[in-house]
Amino acid sequence: MKRTFTYMERDLRRWIRGRINVITSLVMPAAWLIFVGLALPIRFTDNYLDFITPGILVLTMLGASLQGGALLMFDKILGFLQKFLAMPAPRESILFGKILAITLRGLIQTTVILVIALILGAHLLDPIFLLQTYLILFIFGVLLSSIMTTVALSLDDHDSYAAFNSMVAMPLFFTSSALMPYDQMPGWLAFLAHLNPVSYAIDAIRALQGGIFPATTIAGLLVSAVIVLSICIMTFRRATV
Amino acid sequence: MAIIETFGLTKQFNGLVAVDEMTLAIDREIFGLLGPNGSGKTTTVRMLTTLLTPTSGEAKVCGHSVTASPREVRDRISYVPQDMAVDMKLTGRENVVFFANLYGIPRPRETADEALAQMDLASRADDMVNTYSGGMRRRLELAQALVHDPEVLFLDEPTIGLDVAGRRKIWEHIINLKNGGMTVFVTTHYMDEADHACDRVGIIDKGKIVALDTPTALKSLHCHEIIAIRGEGEYKGTVVPDVTFIGKTDDELRFQAISGEDSGIPLLRALTNSGMKIHSFVIRQPTLDDVFLSLIGEQEETMAFDHHRFRTMLRRRA
Repeated sequence: MKRTFTYMERDLRRWIRGRINVITSLVMPAAWLIFVGLALPIRFTDNYLDFITPGILVLTMLGASLQGGALLMFDKILGFLQKFLAMPAPRESILFGKILAITLRGLIQTTVILVIALILGAHLLDPIFLLQTYLILFIFGVLLSSIMTTVALSLDDHDSYAAFNSMVAMPLFFTSSALMPYDQMPGWLAFLAHLNPVSYAIDAIRALQGGIFPATTIAGLLVSAVIVLSICIMTFRRATV
Repeated sequence: MAIIETFGLTKQFNGLVAVDEMTLAIDREIFGLLGPNGSGKTTTVRMLTTLLTPTSGEAKVCGHSVTASPREVRDRISYVPQDMAVDMKLTGRENVVFFANLYGIPRPRETADEALAQMDLASRADDMVNTYSGGMRRRLELAQALVHDPEVLFLDEPTIGLDVAGRRKIWEHIINLKNGGMTVFVTTHYMDEADHACDRVGIIDKGKIVALDTPTALKSLHCHEIIAIRGEGEYKGTVVPDVTFIGKTDDELRFQAISGEDSGIPLLRALTNSGMKIHSFVIRQPTLDDVFLSLIGEQEETMAFDHHRFRTMLRRRA
């Protein structure tokens, strides 16, 4: 467990030192929040900002996970992984440290977005709501970063990963419930949105906004996270024999 | 019992034999594994460091089997691969403290400082690694490797890409570590460096050890005196008595002779008669490079070059 945190600390330190990356990854979600959240003429609700904020929080986490998936692959390509694997520390702690670092990084970014949303006038300032929102985002982060790390380890090449990344990023966001409720969507889009894991995280946060604790959705996310993480561990073991 | 022992160690990749029935015993020395690219050096190191499972055979490090008890082996070794993987955006000290924490060392900061001082990096410990020279980065990797006081150090091409001063310094440190009781297993294709620093060298070709001895013994066993000739025209296999052709590098033909002085002029005459135009001619003592050439022949260098370029390219992106 301690080793997991040591690996995580390394990635967080490297990230903070990267300075520019810390800012740039926030620009896109902030732009959505401001230019779409405040400006779009919407009829189905009189507070679109409150409606879109959960979607943007999840989008931020999605972006962090998509970016983070490549971390372990780079460690492998650049030779770090070989050094780590020749050390007595449990090998899985390399993977757990990575997923934890990506998720934590995402949580820090979502916090900034949350603050911006508050400044813009979103109604979110309830400690229990926030705590539960973070729980959902954490589970979602583990799920997504496990998926992306598995993909990166399987592709084993930076260019292919970048291509995959840009292929899934936008479709995942647009086919989710981030921008409109299901009843406003065309039927085919509502169908896709119901299949999209991103929607589940968004819907869970929206349920919290409405004062309901979405136990089944959270359980569903948790079970998926555990399953994907197990697949990720298997892929990691195979990639490191 | 030797510190590193292998018995019929073999690794195949999809039927292709990378390491073939290797049997070795290495004990408190600097052991150099020399060979052309793709000869199985790195595969051997990766098996000994528990990163690859052998197809057959057995290897023991400090008495522990690399397959049956890899954890025990990892507790006693350090491995520095050739990639030069240090975190650029962290300071030298942070890089070493990170390793000390991974090894679970009781006083990580103090131990890291000792290792940094041992590698002459104390004064630059708080600088970002991206300001370090190549030689300093390699020494930083050695400091990382030393924090848990390993019994065996595995170094894969430790001086690749370094300038002359950087190389000399790395070898000084390696020799110091050996004098302190450490076993050092090193792969390299710089013959002069192996000649000067290694206690024993093994020459590996296509996964098989083709020669194994001290550099001095190898030189006297395989070559007496070297006649090196530069010239134009095709070499047609001409030799004179007491002379054998050992190989060709770029534009130089190398022969070994029992006495260079006696055979030199007859050899030159024979070559001129065969239609070659000779520009220069040197008689000298053999080097490990000559032994290598006589055992293995000309080396292909293209692979290492592309590999390195690809790596630099990736690093720039990251």
